[in-house]
Amino acid sequence: MVLMTVLPALTLMLFLNLTPIIWSVAAGFNEIGTYDPTWTWVGLENYQRLVESPGFYESMVTGVIFTGASILVQLVLGTGLALLVNRAKRLKSLTRTVLLVPYLIPTAVLAYMGLWMNNSTWGITNQMFVQAGLIESFIPWYGLPKYAMPAVVATFSWKYTAFVTILVLAKLQSIPDTFYEAAKISGASTYQAFRDITLPNLKSVIFIVLLLRSVWTFNKFDIIWILTRGGPGTSTTTPPVYAFELGFQRGSLGLAAATSVALFAILSIVAVIYFLTLSPEEEVTLR
Amino acid sequence: MTNSGSGPKASDGGQPTLDLKTHKYQDRIPIWNRLDFGTKGRIVDIAHHGVLLVFIALIVFPLYWMVSTALRPEQQMFTRPIPYVPRTVSLKHYTEILLNSDIPLYYFNSLSIALGVVLVTVVAATLAGYGLSRIDIPRKKLFARGILFGYMFPSILLAIPLFIFWRQLGIIDSRIGIILAESAKTLPFSVWLMWKFFDAVPESLEESAIMAGATRFRAFYEIALPRAKPGVVAIAILAFATSWDEFTIPKILAPSQDMWVLTVGLSSLVEQNQVLWGQMMAACSLILIPSFLFVFFLQEHMLRGLRM
Repeated sequence: MVLMTVLPALTLMLFLNLTPIIWSVAAGFNEIGTYDPTWTWVGLENYQRLVESPGFYESMVTGVIFTGASILVQLVLGTGLALLVNRAKRLKSLTRTVLLVPYLIPTAVLAYMGLWMNNSTWGITNQMFVQAGLIESFIPWYGLPKYAMPAVVATFSWKYTAFVTILVLAKLQSIPDTFYEAAKISGASTYQAFRDITLPNLKSVIFIVLLLRSVWTFNKFDIIWILTRGGPGTSTTTPPVYAFELGFQRGSLGLAAATSVALFAILSIVAVIYFLTLSPEEEVTLR
Repeated sequence: MTNSGSGPKASDGGQPTLDLKTHKYQDRIPIWNRLDFGTKGRIVDIAHHGVLLVFIALIVFPLYWMVSTALRPEQQMFTRPIPYVPRTVSLKHYTEILLNSDIPLYYFNSLSIALGVVLVTVVAATLAGYGLSRIDIPRKKLFARGILFGYMFPSILLAIPLFIFWRQLGIIDSRIGIILAESAKTLPFSVWLMWKFFDAVPESLEESAIMAGATRFRAFYEIALPRAKPGVVAIAILAFATSWDEFTIPKILAPSQDMWVLTVGLSSLVEQNQVLWGQMMAACSLILIPSFLFVFFLQEHMLRGLRM
């Protein structure tokens, strides 16, 4: 009888998580038009075309750069901010409330805010930078190949740095004060206490951020699409943007599906690492 | 960390004990080390809180700028230098998007889809969480891994294959199609959370209720459920926020303009070669209202639930 309660969710999850994989694999072997829903079997041709196209590799490299830079910025700033908040005497509760704000802002809204604030003619950040003497004239941040990627990473990190801070802060607050007192009595310096108490305790949360956020960042579509459409040129075309272009602009859903299969393969590898190193499932099954 | 932004030669620690080390180089003692402990502490404190204030400003300023743009007349947006504080306030942008745009329609679409996702998630995840915590199913570990794997799925990998599949089913451009696809994102974590929540509710309470003649359902509904209420509220917030934030799934699964949600519909304010920035910022600020209200209201509720 109780078994019945699991059925709705089980059916939905099986249906909604398995069908994307099955349909990607199946559609990857076919040619399917964006407007013409007929499937034409082409075997491995889509994969062959992907492997032979420089655009695919380029998008993978761009994706790795986007992911690496974003995670680095978010991890360093997020952890730093968490350490600052944790030790602050005042402003603590204010900062904690403010930290929730970026998370409440939908990514699309953030992207349009970024486009407006960093606008090449009427952007307030450009005006501030000019007034501060940092730049000489207004710069189209999202429109120049050399600035587009850093600008996208910065805009994206505005939201997820706060996310890292919240996670790390929760972990920091779970470290008992007595650890630090003991270290102090034994003559440890602030740096030694940080290295030997704080860092080891943060290791697991940092690893989770690295793993899960990396895979999500690598597959991030919305913010890049709104900010740059993958451009200028292909300077911000990461794999999800590339797959979207193939499927919905260049008219080949089969190729888009084949790209999805490649992304699913990467996702599965990360999942295996996640399960083997952290055993997250133990949390509920230990009961 | 104590040295952040401190005086010159801060590299040698800023620790009072280090004064002994530098003792024989009296004339070369940096200013920082000549300060007494209290002053040093105060400087570090000020620098520390200064950096925090900078972070707070970095988070708050974009929000201020959005609202301040939405509320200022056009001649104060497209001018140089742009005034940091609007000299006059005008509601023109708000009346424009409320009366002369499709934003209200997208608002309705977003709301109805988000509520649909909340409904599906809360019902399915609460039941499943209870079941998983109460029955001994074989291969629980595999099950848990499956749930966590589902949790890792990014929007783009749901949207592309589901577009192909939904088209075969004929549910492109439909609310149900978007709600189902978004539930794929919210369900795994919600089931996981409810599983953990019900694990924390002692089964003996229900057993004694059943002994006293209650049905299994009544035991669940009247004993276990109220104790897991904070979890239900949490997954409801999560589901709403996820759906409200989602761009990729509705963008791909609903190509027709009358099914657009807010995040996708913002692009309707981008006209051929210009963007209606005032209206854009006004629309953005309206999108934020439910997220802030919802979370504020439910946080209160959640705290009350925890106190129970």
